[in-house]
Amino acid sequence: MILRAQEIRKRFESRWVLRSASLTLESGECVLLQGANGSGKTTFAQILATLLTADRGSLEIDGSPPEMNRRAARRAIGFASHRPLLYPGLTPLENLAFFGRLADVPDAAPRAGALLDRFGLSTFARTPMERFSRGMLQRVALTRALLPNPRLLILDEPYAGLDDEGSGTLNALLAEAKGRGAGMLLIAHERERAGALVTRRLLMRDGAVEPSP
Amino acid sequence: MTLLDVAVKDLRLHARDARFLATLLLFSASVVLILSVAFGPIFREPEGEAAATLWAALFFAGVLGLTRSLDLEGESGGGDAVRLTGADPYAIFLGKTLANFALLATVFALVLPIASIFFDVGDLRTLPTLLGVAALALLGYAAWGTLFAALARGLKARELLLSVLLFPSLVPLWIGAVKCTHSLWASGSIDPVRDWIKVMAVADVLGLALAAFLYELIQEASE
Repeated sequence: MILRAQEIRKRFESRWVLRSASLTLESGECVLLQGANGSGKTTFAQILATLLTADRGSLEIDGSPPEMNRRAARRAIGFASHRPLLYPGLTPLENLAFFGRLADVPDAAPRAGALLDRFGLSTFARTPMERFSRGMLQRVALTRALLPNPRLLILDEPYAGLDDEGSGTLNALLAEAKGRGAGMLLIAHERERAGALVTRRLLMRDGAVEPSP
Repeated sequence: MTLLDVAVKDLRLHARDARFLATLLLFSASVVLILSVAFGPIFREPEGEAAATLWAALFFAGVLGLTRSLDLEGESGGGDAVRLTGADPYAIFLGKTLANFALLATVFALVLPIASIFFDVGDLRTLPTLLGVAALALLGYAAWGTLFAALARGLKARELLLSVLLFPSLVPLWIGAVKCTHSLWASGSIDPVRDWIKVMAVADVLGLALAAFLYELIQEASE
């Protein structure tokens, strides 16, 4: 099991955002998590990605709590969220080569170039991203998440800003990752865009995860 | 190598932000100019007044630089992405410290000749010693500043907290820097105030050592 989260609770000031959120994810599984705005999906994703700490509950990545070996846990995860998690003053290639080197990804720059090419961004690979559109930023952000070939992908609204071509490329890349045995959690409103990738659907309601009807 | 990668990334971002660089350099030069006009045109003790002016300009420029460095990590989540790489937090700290040091050294290189000309102080013979004193002071500033910038990250009043934390921590470094610069320009030697070099070295080592224990904790706790 690549991911196990049990009874995660999280409070911001006096408001409980997550009341009892649990999720397990096997290798090669693709789970689609849906839910209304403000239901706690993004907070849950950030806790699973180890960027936020839960107030209560337990989290295991590859069978161990991430605090036991934070470096290994984080290197197993590919995460994309509402924010691009990039430096807009750098070019896509500079960003990806930088993050790739920090994560010890072998051949980070050529691999980044190949992924950007698949997303149709090779012409803009050396252009600072300050004036990129939402869709272009999203493509680079997804490339960053996919760059190290992570065993666990947590993608929060991965289709936001993408056109049909971009969504198709993303689905093809996710299918390849799934074929390699990666487990993935997709948080998306549009269940159609994830298409045949999804093996299980869940719903976040009132800070808890339940099977989707 | 994480340290160099982080330093190069920060410096590249600073170099591409012309507005930030222009603000930083013009601000520093203006502080020197205004204080030289305030103290002059007939200086009572130009060496002391110039030393105080130089290091006051560097202190305020440093706060600007650190605030910008902090914003770079927060504005599009780049800092979170760095954490997600699993890279050694202390190497990240050292890389950021190196970049902040280089930025402060650039400001110093601009402000020093302006202060020398306006106050008519200094000579080339004392320059190597002065550069050594500056290296000690600016390294400590960069180390403590990077540590406190990480602490202030994510807070609404981060600029205020950064200044409040920095001021008392930098007192020994800045007194040392002013006294050594004053002594160098007045007598051509730092022998009368040599003990301040030891104080500055201790402050540097303390800042770098504390970060080895605290930087990761601060990064993880600030979320």
